[in-house]
Amino acid sequence: MAESAQRETSELPQFCSEWLSPSELFAARSRCHRIPARGQKDFLPDGSALQRERLERSLEEHWSLVSEERVERLGALVQAEWIPSKRVVELRTPAGKFWQTMGFSEHGKQFLLPEEALYLMECGSVQVFLHGLPLSIQEGYEMFLSPSTVTLQQYEVFSHLKRLGYIVTRFEPSCVLSHYERTLNLPVQRDRQGRALKRKRSHSPHTDEQEGEESTEPPDHEAKNQRFDPENHPDSLTEEKDQGEVEDKPVAMESTSDAVLARNWWVDRSPRSPMSPTRSQAPRWDFFTITFPDLGARGPLSPLVAPDPTVLPGELSVSECELTPWLQRLNLRKERLSRREQEREQARRRYQRSVNDDKEVRRCGNWAEYQELLRRRRRHHGQRDRPPHLWESTVKPLVQPGQHTSPGELLDKISIIKPSRLLDGAARLEEGADEWKISFDVFQPDTVAEFKKSKPGKPYSRLCVCSFEGPVPDLRVLKQLAFQSGDIPVTFAVVDHGDISFYCFKDFQLPTDVSH
Amino acid sequence: MAGEGPEKSSEEGTASAGGASGGGVRFELEKETELRFEVEAGEKVQLELLSGLAEVFGSELTRNKKYTFGSGSKIAVFTWHSCSVSLTGKTEVAYVSRDTPMLLYLNTHAALEQMRQQAERDNERGPRVMVVGPTDVGKSTVCRLLLNYAVRLGRRPTLVELDVGQSGVSVPGTVSALCIERPADVEEGFSVQAPLVYHFGSTSPGTNIKLYNKLTSCLAEVFSQRCEVNRKASVGGCVINTCGWVKGSGYQALVHCASAFEVDVVLVLDQERLYNELKRDLPHFVKVVLLPKSGGVVERNKDCRREARDEKIREYFYGFRGVSFYPHAFDVRFSDVRIYKIGAPSIPDSCLPLGMSQDDTQLKLVPVTPGRDLTHHVLSVSCAEDEGAEAGASGPAAQRRGILESPVCGFIVVTAVDTQAQVMTVLSPAPRPLPRHTLLIMDIRFIDLK
Repeated sequence: MAESAQRETSELPQFCSEWLSPSELFAARSRCHRIPARGQKDFLPDGSALQRERLERSLEEHWSLVSEERVERLGALVQAEWIPSKRVVELRTPAGKFWQTMGFSEHGKQFLLPEEALYLMECGSVQVFLHGLPLSIQEGYEMFLSPSTVTLQQYEVFSHLKRLGYIVTRFEPSCVLSHYERTLNLPVQRDRQGRALKRKRSHSPHTDEQEGEESTEPPDHEAKNQRFDPENHPDSLTEEKDQGEVEDKPVAMESTSDAVLARNWWVDRSPRSPMSPTRSQAPRWDFFTITFPDLGARGPLSPLVAPDPTVLPGELSVSECELTPWLQRLNLRKERLSRREQEREQARRRYQRSVNDDKEVRRCGNWAEYQELLRRRRRHHGQRDRPPHLWESTVKPLVQPGQHTSPGELLDKISIIKPSRLLDGAARLEEGADEWKISFDVFQPDTVAEFKKSKPGKPYSRLCVCSFEGPVPDLRVLKQLAFQSGDIPVTFAVVDHGDISFYCFKDFQLPTDVSH
Repeated sequence: MAGEGPEKSSEEGTASAGGASGGGVRFELEKETELRFEVEAGEKVQLELLSGLAEVFGSELTRNKKYTFGSGSKIAVFTWHSCSVSLTGKTEVAYVSRDTPMLLYLNTHAALEQMRQQAERDNERGPRVMVVGPTDVGKSTVCRLLLNYAVRLGRRPTLVELDVGQSGVSVPGTVSALCIERPADVEEGFSVQAPLVYHFGSTSPGTNIKLYNKLTSCLAEVFSQRCEVNRKASVGGCVINTCGWVKGSGYQALVHCASAFEVDVVLVLDQERLYNELKRDLPHFVKVVLLPKSGGVVERNKDCRREARDEKIREYFYGFRGVSFYPHAFDVRFSDVRIYKIGAPSIPDSCLPLGMSQDDTQLKLVPVTPGRDLTHHVLSVSCAEDEGAEAGASGPAAQRRGILESPVCGFIVVTAVDTQAQVMTVLSPAPRPLPRHTLLIMDIRFIDLK
C-alpha cells in the first residue's frame, strides 16, 4: 500500500514532499504541540508598553504556529482531488481512520465534503490537489468555503466541534421524521446515506450538491404531504365542515340571541311594571272568600262557617266550628332555645322589619314579581357596594367577586398571556427565511466506536449557526426550527470572530396544581 | 292477615286476644270523636270497623276488614258520623277523645279545595301548601290527611317530602316527591310508585344545609316542569312536608323552600313564634295559617326515630312487614363502581382561595376509597350517566355537578367488604348488575338483623 502510494506520489510533481533527515524528523516530532493560550481579552488599547508587548508576543506566537512546518508520514497522508464542479473532494488514495465518521462513497469512489476535507487538511491527514497541484490550507479556505457549501462561520463551528471529538454531519431535512410518523411510531428510517446514494445515482452529483438543501426539500415536502394525507385530508375536511358549521352557527346564534334579547327585553320590562301601581297584579287568591282557620289572625275570631259539602270528601256535612277554645291549645310543644338563640330571637323581633312593610313588596302580586324584585335589589346592592375608583374607571378588575368558583378558573381568567409551548402552532408556519436553517447534526464523542454513517441514529443535538453580528432569531424562527428538528433539541452556535458560544431554548411548563 | 302467626308475640298475643273473648275490646265512638291507641312494643293490634263510618288519617276504613298495626304504631280512628270499632291485641293506651282539631283541618282542606276549584276554572296552578312546625306536632299526619281528602275528591296532588329524618316516601336521608293517585293504605301509607328521589345522605338537614337547599330547588324545578305538562298535577298542587328544625338555618331553609316552590299557603302547626316569623319574612300574598296540633300526637324519642328509620329501610328491601320482597345479595367489584360522598369537610374562610366560598366545598363530590368502614352503609345508586362519571374522574366539573342533581334510581346496602379481593357484598332490591355505577354514600347505616 505504502509503496503504491509512494509510486503514485512520485509520479506527481512533488512540491511539498521533502525528505527529512532523521535529526530533522526527530526535531519535528519532539516539537512542542501546545497551542498558545489566548489569555485575557483586551477591550481597548490603553497605550501601555506592557499591553503592546503582550499583543506582539501573542501575535508572534500565532505567526510562528501558522508558519511552522507540519511533518506527517507520507504513508498516512491521504491524497485527494478537489472537483470544483461538484464541490466535493475525491480521494485518490485509500482513506484513513477518519472514514468511519466522514465522507461518502459513490460509484465506487470515495468523496469528502469540502468542510471535511478542509478539516482533514488542517489536521494534516489529507492533501488536496487541484489540477495536479497541491492546495495550501489558505487555498482550501478560499476554495472550499462558499455560501453554496458551507460558510466560514459554519466551518468554524464544524471544526471546533470536531476538534472536541464530536461527530458532526450535515443536517438532512429529509431524514427527520415527520410529526405524523412520530405519532404513528413508525420504525425509524435512517438510511440517509442509502437514499442519498440512490438519488446521486439517478442525478448527477453536481446538481445534487449544488442545490443542496433546496433540491432535497421539495420532494421531501411532497412526501410529507403524502404522508400527511391520511391525516390531513379528513382534517381539512372536518375543518371545512367546522367552518361551515361555524358559518351556520352565528346565524342561528344570532337569531336565538336576538330572540333571547327580545325576550329579555320583554322580561325586563314586565317586572318593572309592578313599579307603577296601575299595572300591578292583584294576588291570585282572595283569602277573604277562601277562609282558612287561622288561629294567629288578629282580632276576634269568628266561628268558622260550615264548609260547602261539595268540597268535602264523602259529602260530609259538618257544623260550624268555634275557634276560640283552640287558642288555649297553642304552643303546646315547648320550644327549647339556648340563651344565644333567645338573644338572637329578641334582636330579630326588635329590629327586623316585616318584608311586607316595604311598599314595593306590597305591590308584588305573586312570587314571580317578588323574586324579580329581590333579584333586582340584590344586583343593585352588589353594584352599590363596589368602590367607584375600582369599578367605574376604564381599567376594571379582571374578575368580579363571586364570579368564579374554583381557583383554577380564577387563574385562567387572570392569566392574560396564555402559556404556550414552543411547538404550538409551529406546523402551520410557512417556510420562512432561508437565512435560518439547521446546518449540522451533532453526535456525542462517546458514540464514535459504534457510529455508522449509514445508520447514524438519533443525533445528540442539531446546530443552527449564526453570527453575533447577524440578527437574533425571532420566535417564528425558533418555532420553525424546533418543529423541523422534531424531538431533538436545536442548539444555536453563535460565532464571534472565532469564539463560539452555544445557546439553546428549553421548553418547559410551569406546574399548575389548581385544576379543581 | 289475621291467620299469619306472628313469630314473636305468639303466646301473649293470643292470650290477650283470648282474654278479650275473641272480639277484642269494643269502642263506641260518637260524632266527631276519635279513638287513639298505641301498640305496645313487640305486639300487634287488629282493628275492625263494626258499624258506621270511620277513617284513619283521612283514609276510610272498610267495614268488617281487619287492619293489623305493628309494634309502636300510634293510630287515631276518627269518625265524622259515629261508629263502633273493636281492637284486638295489646295496646299501650287506648282512649276516646272528643278534643280533636280535625274540624279545623277539614276546614283547611275545604279552603284548599276551593283554591283548586278556582285554579281549574281560571286555568291556573293549584295551591302549593307547605306544612311547617317543630318536631312531633303531626306534620306528616296533616299532610297525609290533606292529601287523602284531596285525592278522595279526584284530585292528583303531589306530596313533597323534605323531611330527611323521617321520610314518608323513601328511605331516610333523601328528599322526594310522590304523585298521589289514591288514598293512603290504612296500614302501609301511600303506595310508593315511581317517586322522584334525591340523595341527601344524612338524617339532619343541618349536616349540609347548602345541599339541602339545592335539592329543594331541584325538586321545585322538576315539580314545576311536571305542572307545565300535566294539567291535573298542576291543579292538584302540592303538599310539602318539612323538617322539624325551625331555628336558625332550619328556618332559613323553610323560607328558601317557600320561595323555591312559590307556595301559596303555609300551615304552621302549634308554634306561634314560627307563625309570626314567617308572617314577617314571607310576602303578603302567601297565606300563613296557624293551626293547633292534635292532642293525640305523641312525642317520639331518639330511639323511636331510629327504629322508624331502620324500619323504613327494611321496608324498602323486604317490603311492608318484610314479607313481600326478596332482595338479592351479590358481590360488586370496587373497580366497577365509583363511590362519592357529597360535601368536603369545611375549611375556615381565611384559608380559602380568593373568590371561593364555602358552599363550593359543601356541594363538592369527594371520591370515597372503598374500605372496611363502608360496611353497613346505605348507598344511593345515582341515575347519572356512567360515561359522565367516568369522564368525571378526570375532570369536567359540570358532569360531577350532574351527579348531584340527578335523582336516585335505587339503594343498596353494603353488607360485607373484602379489601383483599377488592369486592363488596351488597343487598340490592334487584339482581345484578347494578343499573348504574355511580354510588353516593349516606351517613345512615343499616344492619340487616331480622
